[in-house]
Amino acid sequence: MSINEKVKVIPCSGMGKVFGLMAREAALRTVGQLCPDKAETMCLAYVVTGDAEAEAGIDGKPCITIDGCPKMCSAKSVAIIGGDIKEEFKVLDIMKEHKGAQPGTATELTTDGWTIVDKIAATLHERVQQIHGEGR
Amino acid sequence: MTKKYAVLPCNGLDKCAGQMAREIALTVCEKTDSQLICPVFYRVADARYNKIANENPLLVIDGCATRCASKLAAEKNLKIYRKMTVTDETQKHGVTLAIEPLRLWEDEINLCAALAAELIKEEDVAESMAAAVIYPVPGDYLIHTKDKFMFRIPPEGFYFTENDCWVQPVGNRARIGVADYVQQSLSDIMFFTPPPVGVEVEQFGEAGAIESGKAVFELVCPVSGKIVAINKELLNSPEKINENPYEQGWIAELELTNFDEEKDFLLDADGYLQVLKRKVDEFHVNQRKG
Repeated sequence: MSINEKVKVIPCSGMGKVFGLMAREAALRTVGQLCPDKAETMCLAYVVTGDAEAEAGIDGKPCITIDGCPKMCSAKSVAIIGGDIKEEFKVLDIMKEHKGAQPGTATELTTDGWTIVDKIAATLHERVQQIHGEGR
Repeated sequence: MTKKYAVLPCNGLDKCAGQMAREIALTVCEKTDSQLICPVFYRVADARYNKIANENPLLVIDGCATRCASKLAAEKNLKIYRKMTVTDETQKHGVTLAIEPLRLWEDEINLCAALAAELIKEEDVAESMAAAVIYPVPGDYLIHTKDKFMFRIPPEGFYFTENDCWVQPVGNRARIGVADYVQQSLSDIMFFTPPPVGVEVEQFGEAGAIESGKAVFELVCPVSGKIVAINKELLNSPEKINENPYEQGWIAELELTNFDEEKDFLLDADGYLQVLKRKVDEFHVNQRKG
């Protein structure tokens, strides 16, 4: 990848389930606050509907996917159009490290939920930095 | 009355309008018994949502003009009950959307709340404002044919605009709709976006839209007045406009405010027939040249 190229951080759609919402919030925190100069996101609906611009932006490009549930919509959809997936995050796996935590609902996160989102975002940030470093 | 929609929003991640679509969808779901459909999940594995989508009136909320959610509904062959596009609404309400930030600010959140409230409340208003008025059914029609096409015009009781819309006044009420020429030009009509009930519309102002695979047609209201009802049948069956745009395909009902003066700017059946003939001839000539 070129030094100027941003890593694509693509979460699952994040509708209807709390883990999806967490994936979405972690992605937004990463690309909006933690490393906006090194990462950007993309709407997964564009990817699954075969939008030409989305395909061109992902095909062969470094991507990180974050999925809420085991259906893995994000990882599967990005892989289909040739994204170079450097890391597949699963919120469900991360939740296993937080036994008993109550992250909230599909529409609103609790303090627990935001804490875990922050942790995921920090991990994403770290991974983005690594991937970017590999490109130098 | 508690509404219950199947809500299919735009995925809403990388643009402000999309984030708003999602916010509106969530608010509608929180305040009613509506159920949310995840657009991506629905596309890749629809079993989870088929029942919800088929058994409830479908509310589609698009973020931008790409209209991913509407396209998905069309792909799944779903009938859309109510449709909203956030970028259209923000223009209407004078809200300028941020290009870069992915978070919503106060103005945007307030507008989302207002639009969600409108979606939840609209039908209550319609129920209370609609009153029983009997609109005469045309007994016969003036017919103009060209090649394989046949265009009908009701000879009495209807007035027309040059934009191919009609009004049928009865007392201080009136129905409005589109002429045969419009439905034939559009071909199969797939979506109906009604005008909001309760709003005041000016003569020649916009009063809803219909859409086919070919184009979107914005209805030019022939008269001014307050929208008191919409044709709910069209929400589930917009093809009724194709079947007969003057009878079961009417669009909305208004309480008239100034019909006596506005009538002077409208065409009767004979006047509209001349306009129609000219349009059909021009179209025919252009087709041949093409």
